[in-house]
Amino acid sequence: MSVVVQPMPEVNPLQDSLRFARRVPPCAVVIFGASGDLSRRKLLPALYRLFYERRIPPNFAVIGSSRTPMSDDQFRERMKDSVSKFLEDAPFDEDVWRSFAQSLFYVPGDLSNPESYEDIRRKLDEVEKSHQTAGNVLFYLSTQPSHYAEAIQELGAHHLNQGNGWRRVIIEKPFGHDLKSARKLNDDIHKVFSESEVYRIDHYLGKETVQNILAFRFGNGIFEPLWNRRYVDHVQITAAESIGVEGRGAYYQEAGALRDMIQNHLSQVMATVAMEPPTVFDATNVRDERAKLLRAVRVMKPEDVPTYAVAGQYGPAKVGGQDILGFRQEPSVDPDSQTDTYAAVTFFIDNWRWAGVPFYIRTGKRMPKRVTDIAIQFHAPPLGLFTQETKAGPREVRPNLLVLRIQPEEGISLRFLSKSPGSGMRVRPVSMDFNYGSSFGERTPTAYETLLVDAMAGDPTLYTRQDMVDASWQIVEPILDVWAHTRFNFPNYPAGTWGPKEADEMLARQGHVWRIP
Amino acid sequence: MSSAVISPAQPEQILKGLGKLWTSLGEEEKQHGKPTVLRACTMTLIVATDEPDGDFSSAQTISELMREHPSRGIVLAVSPDAEQALQARLYAQCWKPFGKAQQICCEQIEITCRPESWPNVGPILIGLTAADLPVVFWCRHKAAIRPFSTSDQKAGLEAVMSIATKTIVDTREEDPISAMRLLAHWKTLGRPFGDLEWTRLTPWREPIAHIFDSSCGNNPLSSFHTIEIAHTDDHPCASVLYAAGWLSAPYKANVSFVKTKGFGPGLHRIRLRSDSETIEFERTSSEGMTLRSTNGRERSYTYSEPTLTALMTEELSVIGPDPAFMAAFDRVQEMM
Repeated sequence: MSVVVQPMPEVNPLQDSLRFARRVPPCAVVIFGASGDLSRRKLLPALYRLFYERRIPPNFAVIGSSRTPMSDDQFRERMKDSVSKFLEDAPFDEDVWRSFAQSLFYVPGDLSNPESYEDIRRKLDEVEKSHQTAGNVLFYLSTQPSHYAEAIQELGAHHLNQGNGWRRVIIEKPFGHDLKSARKLNDDIHKVFSESEVYRIDHYLGKETVQNILAFRFGNGIFEPLWNRRYVDHVQITAAESIGVEGRGAYYQEAGALRDMIQNHLSQVMATVAMEPPTVFDATNVRDERAKLLRAVRVMKPEDVPTYAVAGQYGPAKVGGQDILGFRQEPSVDPDSQTDTYAAVTFFIDNWRWAGVPFYIRTGKRMPKRVTDIAIQFHAPPLGLFTQETKAGPREVRPNLLVLRIQPEEGISLRFLSKSPGSGMRVRPVSMDFNYGSSFGERTPTAYETLLVDAMAGDPTLYTRQDMVDASWQIVEPILDVWAHTRFNFPNYPAGTWGPKEADEMLARQGHVWRIP
Repeated sequence: MSSAVISPAQPEQILKGLGKLWTSLGEEEKQHGKPTVLRACTMTLIVATDEPDGDFSSAQTISELMREHPSRGIVLAVSPDAEQALQARLYAQCWKPFGKAQQICCEQIEITCRPESWPNVGPILIGLTAADLPVVFWCRHKAAIRPFSTSDQKAGLEAVMSIATKTIVDTREEDPISAMRLLAHWKTLGRPFGDLEWTRLTPWREPIAHIFDSSCGNNPLSSFHTIEIAHTDDHPCASVLYAAGWLSAPYKANVSFVKTKGFGPGLHRIRLRSDSETIEFERTSSEGMTLRSTNGRERSYTYSEPTLTALMTEELSVIGPDPAFMAAFDRVQEMM
């Protein structure tokens, strides 16, 4: 047997990663569902901003496709309105838009109609010549999830999964409705695209502050030694929204809080907080560690679900003098809906580092404010030498708390005790704050900017892999199964509050209380 | 917002003044009932200048730099016309990020001294640097980096460089040979430095480097044995030398320089030759550059002369080792 040794590609000695921006190769981005909310609010503003900052090359084109009949110019006009309206933390520049708009094209079509894919192929051939996109194509499925499999199959049937350059596909969440459907979807995708060409997007992982968790943990020597069961009492992850379902009642009714947030975003955040250090900071190693962590999460037995998981649904309330509808009163929502608009779960990670440490995750709609953070509560000192000064009088000291704020005021704060001025040894908690925005004056890219550049550059580090998706479905599925067979006494929390009392009781059983973020 | 003049400038008094400045900004917060001001600092940036309009332009540039590199700015204006041997004034530079209600504020200290007092400034600066953060020294004092600088200038320069994590100079208007000698001397002393003439090359370097990314399928850099660099000045300036050093460092390619007419000072064209291909990257107008290859590839780029703020913003983002610059610099030393 002879072995053919391929020559190693020459490492480019002229590259200067300290000064050069991450290079995006020439490519075309095809967005299915281009007239939808996600495209208008997130994708096009992100692409425009990347263009504004010259982070995407001139040899670049966007082809939007959806059922709405529109010309290229009408699509450009509509997207201009959206970009100028939804651009975050940056001004809109007419001149830059005019230049960007020359790269925007539109192909009307129905995902179930094979002709549409031929139209897209023709447009891709056109832009490959006119915009020199080198045959590289990134497909973005921003459609109804029920169309993913069909769209992928048609892309394969029309040979759009291969060409002169690379082909990649970004798939939005939800990735399946349960473990079985997620695996079926994976199988369908793998018939057309290889795993290395599939980019399952979880925009939480693209947030700068979520990425900063890795920098914070593995770039500093002082925290990692404390990052284990010896020092950490418990962890609370909160993702609260002050808004309701905002016209998405029909979709949300099918999803619910557990599926919509915990199965994907928050389980990935938990994996980022709790994973082991990768040996090398690259896509494979980082994702291996995330997947390993998710596989170590204890899968609940059905009889444990009522103890470790709480479902909630908001009811009507008056908030700030304004009447707020309950979930069941929202348009397109079943008046007897059993959908969870709030979910709180206690997870345990059965590995050497975290054994016995509860990870409390809660998410809900119509909470008092919009906030996402992770709080690591450390053990109290072994001996209480001091009493803490409070308005209600002295009480036991509160343990140290490290809060990683994801949004809205991105940053990190550490709560510790300090002596109150004056005579006597009374202590009170003070907070040492790091604010992301003030220390780095430059504008923070949005999650979609980061993730789009990564996909175009072929870096899947911040995208979820099939085994991660499987593992996260495995940990929530027993809860979903039990809840599907439970008749809840909904609504069980009024809009504008921090959730049902059962969630407080869940923590109280472990001797803990929810923070008020 | 600024303080009264502090004279003579002493670190304790200046720091006390800064404390008062922040207290007064805090008073505004109390009136508004919510946090309106956020104090930010990621480094100490010391700027020494001898320009007649130095006070204004340095302060202006620092305030622009603060947005990406919040820092404690210290402007050291060395002027024979200074009223006092050594005096200081304090400012808060504030701006409101787009879409945010809270202002971000950085502190700025302006120290004016007569040339003979410059060597005495070192101990004051040591007391004024923000604790545990990098200290970057931007030397805009042109006379101090020239071959016939005075002993006060040499001592003053050394006093500031000795506390700096990195010293940044701009050798554009200097004799390149003398400038390279000075920088080589700093290197032997172990003083980290950056040169804005190198920073000016980034718009040239980035597209050229991209040609040799393996994904682009071009001939490898090692096959380009001859490099020709065209410049518009009478002699190759520092950025032209750096370009030659950067391109020839990996494989020791042969370099030649030619003088030509062009659209601005410095670099005009880079030509790389292999046995089968020639690549040219050229300024084709005052606002454009074109990359051409005999393989048929052609691409245009917009070009605008980088502003001082843009150059410094990039340079301040590289505080630690800068291997690409050092490799180019070492190669220039070999070629000289």
